[in-house]
Amino acid sequence: MKKKFLGSSVVATIGLLVLTACGTNDDQTISNNETTKDTFTYAISGDPTSLNPINVSDRWGLTATNMIYSPLVRVEEDGSLKYELADSMETTDGGKSVTVHLKENVKWSDGEAFTADDVVFTYENKVLKENGNADALWIGDEPVKTEKVDEHTVKFNFPKVSAAAANNIATETYIMPEHLYEGQEEIDFSGAELADGNEVGTGPYVLSEYKRGEYLQFKANPNYYGGEVGVKNVTLRIITNADTTKVALQKGEVDASMVLPSDIEDLKNNNLNTFSYSENRVGYMGLNLNSDKLSDQKVRQAIFFALNKEDMNKAAYLSEEFYNTPNTILPPNNPFATTNVETYAQNVEKSKQLLSEAGVTDLTINLAYGSDNPEQTLQATLIQQQLQAVGINVELAGGDAAAIFTELRNPGSTKYDMFLGGYIMGNDPDLYASLYKSGAGANYFNYASEKADALFEQGAVELDENKRKEIYAELQATINEDAIVYPIVDNKKILAASKNIQGIEEARLVPIYSFEDLSKISLK
Amino acid sequence: MIKYIIKRLLQLIPLLFVISFIVFFLIHLAPYDAIDAIVTPNMSVETVELMKQRYGLDQPFLVQYVKWLSELLKGNMGYSLLNQQSISAELATRIPNTMKLIIPAYLTALVLSMIFGLLAAANKGKWLDKLIDGICSIGIATPTFWFAMILIYFLGYKLNLFPIIGMNTIGQTPTVGDFLKHFFMPYLVLTVAFFPDLTRYIRNSAISQLNEDYVIVQQAFGSTKREIFMKHISRNVLIPVVTQIGQALPMLVTGAIISESIFGWPGVGPYMMSATKALDYPVIMAIMLLSATLVILGNLLSDVLYRLVDPRIRQAGGTN
Repeated sequence: MKKKFLGSSVVATIGLLVLTACGTNDDQTISNNETTKDTFTYAISGDPTSLNPINVSDRWGLTATNMIYSPLVRVEEDGSLKYELADSMETTDGGKSVTVHLKENVKWSDGEAFTADDVVFTYENKVLKENGNADALWIGDEPVKTEKVDEHTVKFNFPKVSAAAANNIATETYIMPEHLYEGQEEIDFSGAELADGNEVGTGPYVLSEYKRGEYLQFKANPNYYGGEVGVKNVTLRIITNADTTKVALQKGEVDASMVLPSDIEDLKNNNLNTFSYSENRVGYMGLNLNSDKLSDQKVRQAIFFALNKEDMNKAAYLSEEFYNTPNTILPPNNPFATTNVETYAQNVEKSKQLLSEAGVTDLTINLAYGSDNPEQTLQATLIQQQLQAVGINVELAGGDAAAIFTELRNPGSTKYDMFLGGYIMGNDPDLYASLYKSGAGANYFNYASEKADALFEQGAVELDENKRKEIYAELQATINEDAIVYPIVDNKKILAASKNIQGIEEARLVPIYSFEDLSKISLK
Repeated sequence: MIKYIIKRLLQLIPLLFVISFIVFFLIHLAPYDAIDAIVTPNMSVETVELMKQRYGLDQPFLVQYVKWLSELLKGNMGYSLLNQQSISAELATRIPNTMKLIIPAYLTALVLSMIFGLLAAANKGKWLDKLIDGICSIGIATPTFWFAMILIYFLGYKLNLFPIIGMNTIGQTPTVGDFLKHFFMPYLVLTVAFFPDLTRYIRNSAISQLNEDYVIVQQAFGSTKREIFMKHISRNVLIPVVTQIGQALPMLVTGAIISESIFGWPGVGPYMMSATKALDYPVIMAIMLLSATLVILGNLLSDVLYRLVDPRIRQAGGTN
């Protein structure tokens, strides 16, 4: 019995080893075939959290959704509009509504015609709060109403005049096919995935297979309205380990991936091109106004004058090629961003003077940051050093980012005096109200300024573009003057792609979902 | 014997209750929950609350625990909070993938360690023993992820012998050859991770056998050292090895978390890692319960096998 067991396991193992050896030989041919295939492989770092176009909000979920579905209109980084399913749109009723004319002859990937019914259906489901992504479609306590004017015209009616809504309603909502749900009584769009088989879209690709934890495979949508699709198949390959991703890229197992500035040196010799682009992110150090130590504006300004963001950015992102430097709550590329504000250029003397005016000596405050984030760790230690120079002691409180922000959302929390964070909010300045308006959901600063609130309200309803710019310029100046947030960096994303991949500029690299239109790339 | 097994299995139930309660409690102590982990600044407080309500995360700890437990007793392991996918379905595809890696690697390690362990014991104190001991020390001291990266770099990239990610080439009908090619590097990493401890264990048991009476008797009969090792010691060493096999049972689920993540192997490892990061508690609880069950079953298996391979214990047990 004993002997038998030992014997059989030896045989099994040797058998396996022999098989492995055989496998090694005949597989060489397989990987040779691979290179002739018409497939673009893009490495992503995890499964999409959601593939439901109604509530998707995570990076990889949006990457996949943006390949399958299309919005009516996109807003480019400079604020200009790019029409997708819409042909044109105009503000109507003096800013109380927006009328959108749809492209005719657009077809879903299953061949059905795309009409105004699809748009109405999508917005009517998105406006439902239980589906988890309704915030943008509510103005105050009232929802935006969607109305079908004719087969190819849709009108969005706002409860009151809203410049923000006029700019935002038609954008970033992926239109779903109504015909697949016809006759169904209750449709639940609250989950992270749609019912099986309902992956019909108007985007350049159709999802053909999804193996959780492994890959998502797409094939070209023959009915894509945007023209011929350059590469027939696209694979989003899930690789969780960043080091493995790097070698896979060097080796050519994947064609493209996001990389870090520190990787670029290694990747140079590998037949790879790199592209850097801004995500319009603001990485910042925030101050918690609940903290008694920071209630004096002079103390807050003293802290900001002691800091030097250039040093932090050079240390974390190596070269100016890889970051922009923001001065206000808006990222530098935002069309509303202004530089006409107090930017707190480092001034140690002024900082010391402000501290003595405030009568503060021996100040000790803590700084929360994500300890698994190398950039934030570096920023935190530099902030500690720079504040030390003016006599402020900083205790570093590294932790899990989700835990830190959950704590900061607790009303009245004083656990952290200062914290490092970042946001990508989009183009319209009204979107930033959720961070800086008093009582707003993401107001981690506990900032409550009547002046800032009033400016946000004015800006939201002002239809004149120039007046709007003035309002938001004043708002940025007010928030800077109050010294509650120290914008540090708009760090760029870097895409490394094999030199065989062409058309990356035409596909346009954009925030969050990386490729605006993946159909434009081609393989050489 | 059967009575004994049933008795041990019944003891399992209260133990699992206690373990599940402790783990649930520990997860609850964490300063955030699964929804907090995916909140972005553009979600309103209301939306966040709505999502928490939907998954019962706004309920007190005990209510959540009882709810989870009653679902489990109905045989429902639940759904991931993040993507609402059925956990049992997910595990049903992932556990076999992990087993495909672990079982061959463990068996190889076992055979290698039998050979090396006995060789080392037979040459105790000589250069061969020292060499094997040295190899084991290096093996134990080498972090798995590092060794995996070295293999990826040299075998996968420099020599371009093996693909470095996944279990099969995407877009092809899976073939055995293709699988084995993907399999080789993680398999090698795991074998190297498993064998040093086992080798030392077997060496030590073999050395302790050397002092036993039966060895002295055999020596007195004039048996050669080779005969003694091949025929007698190797058999007796099997007894403690059998207990090791039982204890290795939980590895079938959680034995390759790091290697799987590095090689993008679609096993339990990456699933567990991402769930833990996001505090997706139904997933963590399911894997934890499974692995706790396997620990207990493994111990039981050790005891049963022990009785089977050693007639002395079998007889003593039989009289009970």
